[in-house]
Amino acid sequence: MRLLTHNTLRNNSAAANGKGFPLRIKAAEIRVDENKDDDDDEMQIAFVKGVLGMLDWSILVQGASEMGLSTLPPALTDEMANDPTFMRALYHVLMNVHLVRGILVCPDTGREFPVTDGIANFMLEEDECEHVRM
Amino acid sequence: MSRPELTGHASLFYNAKEARKYNSSSRMVGVQREITERAIELLRLPEDRPSFVLDVGCGSGLSGQVLEEKGHAWVGCDVSRDMLNVANERIKENMLERSEAAASGGIDMDDDDDEDDDSKYDDSPTKPFTGDLMHHDMGTGLPFRPATFDACVSISALQWLCYSNAKGQIPKKRLTRFFSSLYQVLRRGARAVLQFYPETAEQAILISECAAKVGFAGGIVVDYPNSTKAKKHYLVLSFDRAYKAPSGLDAMDGALLSSASAQTGVRVEQARGKRGGPPRKGKGGTKTKEWIVHKKETQRKKGKAVKTDTKYTGRKRPARF
Repeated sequence: MRLLTHNTLRNNSAAANGKGFPLRIKAAEIRVDENKDDDDDEMQIAFVKGVLGMLDWSILVQGASEMGLSTLPPALTDEMANDPTFMRALYHVLMNVHLVRGILVCPDTGREFPVTDGIANFMLEEDECEHVRM
Repeated sequence: MSRPELTGHASLFYNAKEARKYNSSSRMVGVQREITERAIELLRLPEDRPSFVLDVGCGSGLSGQVLEEKGHAWVGCDVSRDMLNVANERIKENMLERSEAAASGGIDMDDDDDEDDDSKYDDSPTKPFTGDLMHHDMGTGLPFRPATFDACVSISALQWLCYSNAKGQIPKKRLTRFFSSLYQVLRRGARAVLQFYPETAEQAILISECAAKVGFAGGIVVDYPNSTKAKKHYLVLSFDRAYKAPSGLDAMDGALLSSASAQTGVRVEQARGKRGGPPRKGKGGTKTKEWIVHKKETQRKKGKAVKTDTKYTGRKRPARF
């Protein structure tokens, strides 16, 4: 599970009351992939620019540090957003840093979501689910 | 196999053995690929940049693979852990190939594993895997922050919501929960295309109604409506109230899925002025050119592969000696 995905996740059980993020990461095993030279840089930068609007920067900084990466700046400036080197590095952080084994913890309820073999388990019981107005 | 949904829970049907079979059957892989390509076509994603796509019911990652080949990043959810494990294996193989290619510095030889059927589709060096997998039941609602995804795709999964497999599971409730969470997690202007197999017309209606009730606009696109085998339903959802679903493919103009036109690269000709009724079975009967042309039309409508009509169609053959 990469940092990009972690940024979007939330505990959607009824107990979380509509919030349920940012999920705290208790990392047991991490894997960082290499950014190959032949990968399409322009497309990578275009992709990062595309998701920048929906990313929560504070969740990213916290998540990265819980995964052992503390080099992200605390805030994103326009200058950084227009710097291709920074964007490429950001792509690497978002896409190549994986939680292979660990636990994601909801900050509001303490509910744990285990991650094994890179796959996050978000199976909820029927009685945990949000109420539905039909 | 009639309807796997009637046998029980999806994760029980798609167990380890079934998951392996699913992923290694080249026919299944081919069909799922085609459906995914068509779904992506219906999504009308921007061409200038990769999109961040949600794949609901991603299974063994066949649809995710197509998304990757087109350069998109995706997050896949599935209720069957066994199917996800198969998807994971493919990802690991892919990574191994890439690191071996980098190490050797040359073109990596395509290892033709049974499950790695993508070698003939992907000419370029193996693309990086851009998907994440989640073990998750779509009926419990999607666990993402609002306005996260650029698009959503779902291949052959939605109909599973129409059957209850555990105490307290009400299909309508689960469908509504799924669609209302989908509405939340899509960015404005995003679109969702969900291919599914309705058992009955009532099911298709139930699904559309639940989607409409949460605020989606859109409709169901039906490809090849006259063929039981080739017929496919795509629920296309959008936020744009003015959106009108495109008309479905018919064998006559289906460039993507009709193998006849795929072979020749030409649109299959329509027999003008002869539609409506079969030519009278008068003199000549089924041997006349009119009859043959009409018969080929009928077969095309059924979605079968038919050679194009040329000047040689139904010509008088030289007498046998």
